[in-house]
Amino acid sequence: MSTNELLRLEGVEKRFGDTVALQESSISIERGSFVSIVGPSGCGKSTLFNVVAGLLKPDKGDILLDGVSVRGKSGHVGYMLQKDLLVPWRTVLGNITLGARLTRRVSAEDRTQATEFATKYGLGDFLNHYPGSLSGGMRQRVALMRTLALNQPLLLLDEPFGALDAQTRFEMQQWLLQVWRDSERTVLFITHDVDEAVFLSDRVLVMSPRPGRVVDDLTIDLPRPRTLETLTSPAFTALKATILQQLHRERVS
Amino acid sequence: MTTRRLLKAVLGPIVSLIAVVAIWQAIVVWGHVPSYIAPRPLAAWQAITQNWSTLWPLTSWTIKETVYGFFAGVVFGIAFGVVMAKVPFLAKTVYPVLIMSQAIPIVALALPLVLILGFSLMPKVVIVAWIVFFPVTVNVLDGLHNVDKDLLTLSQVLGASKWRTFVVIEIPGAITPLFSGLKIGATYAVTGAIIAELAASSGSSLALYQHAQAGQLNAAGVYGTTILMTAIGMGWFLLTLGAEYLCTPWRRRSVARRKWRGARTISAVSL
Repeated sequence: MSTNELLRLEGVEKRFGDTVALQESSISIERGSFVSIVGPSGCGKSTLFNVVAGLLKPDKGDILLDGVSVRGKSGHVGYMLQKDLLVPWRTVLGNITLGARLTRRVSAEDRTQATEFATKYGLGDFLNHYPGSLSGGMRQRVALMRTLALNQPLLLLDEPFGALDAQTRFEMQQWLLQVWRDSERTVLFITHDVDEAVFLSDRVLVMSPRPGRVVDDLTIDLPRPRTLETLTSPAFTALKATILQQLHRERVS
Repeated sequence: MTTRRLLKAVLGPIVSLIAVVAIWQAIVVWGHVPSYIAPRPLAAWQAITQNWSTLWPLTSWTIKETVYGFFAGVVFGIAFGVVMAKVPFLAKTVYPVLIMSQAIPIVALALPLVLILGFSLMPKVVIVAWIVFFPVTVNVLDGLHNVDKDLLTLSQVLGASKWRTFVVIEIPGAITPLFSGLKIGATYAVTGAIIAELAASSGSSLALYQHAQAGQLNAAGVYGTTILMTAIGMGWFLLTLGAEYLCTPWRRRSVARRKWRGARTISAVSL
């Protein structure tokens, strides 16, 4: 085990009745890395997430976070979905500190930190706004700030930009990379979008259904910071082609 | 700014009130309706003002029944809603009983209540509560069931206890439907109070006063009492509306009021 490992899945398997949602998988995630998971529906991406988040208890195997088993336990990761899940009755600040409110008292430090995050990442003018008055992109920013605010080392992002239009999405991807670089967190990122996976990640795991499993593990060695030019570079295109072929082959067979 | 908004808000209701009175006046005058069938609006109004010393004690009594019954109904309504949302077994067993309770004609309920509780304030309060609790229960139950399941999942992932989730997510999430129930309850409350007065009063009450006026063929008195009863219902509904307005600022504002922001909020400018 490398000392730089944050998360380790050891032979994790999850079944629902006769269906193997996730076949015995062993995955190691390095601290501070950005790892995407791509694959068609039913490939076990969400099962994998739910097992790591502690929503599902695996039938076999163990999940180690910083060397400590978190099998079937929750409260140790940041978690964000395509739906922003902002509560309409709390302000932006109140939504960012929601995690604290749900687990302990909201302290002055929580508020200060939330204010700092929000100010740094373009939400400073909206701290006292209710979410109802924000655009989709802004709402997702608030949701990500909320995910960061609990100071968990591992963030699970499940298609966070899936509902945004292409332009906002690209903006948000660059913004996410900035936040990730600054905050030094580890990100596990689910997406359907191969471009998005390659653009953001250090590593892309390709998953396949029936039974759900990881069929490929690619290192994305494109230089950072990544820009608009990255998207059209030959290296980017080659990586994208590899992943698309992998996904397509799995679908045909 | 605030005065203008207030003016705008009350302008509509005032105009429609004037219209109703005007139509009433027009029908009575141009239709040559005899005054023992329908009085002119002014006559009905005078029937209130000239008998105010008699009417006020009766009115305050009716208000008391309405308000006490309303609050009792709300307390029970919320309690039933929460318990049924949290304990599915009770939802299956208690819900049919609650529905049954609403199928009992209120008049038929009044006499047993009089036998049990006598001619006091109690049977009226019980009847009003009986009517008010049901829409509250139904709306609270729906509100709690319709809280976004993903939000509950998020809460669980973040490590929140069931109780915290209930207090921080589910209760505020059910406020809007709760107020729908309260508004329905508020309009029914005074109706319940009047029916209760008819069915469970021995002495004086607004409902019996109106009966007496009808017996004397005093149409102005009958219509005047109706106006008074309507005013109680309207007033209570408006108060409920006002409470809703204060309790749900996020539905009408884009920025929170200063006092809602929390004591130790740090302004972005100071950083």
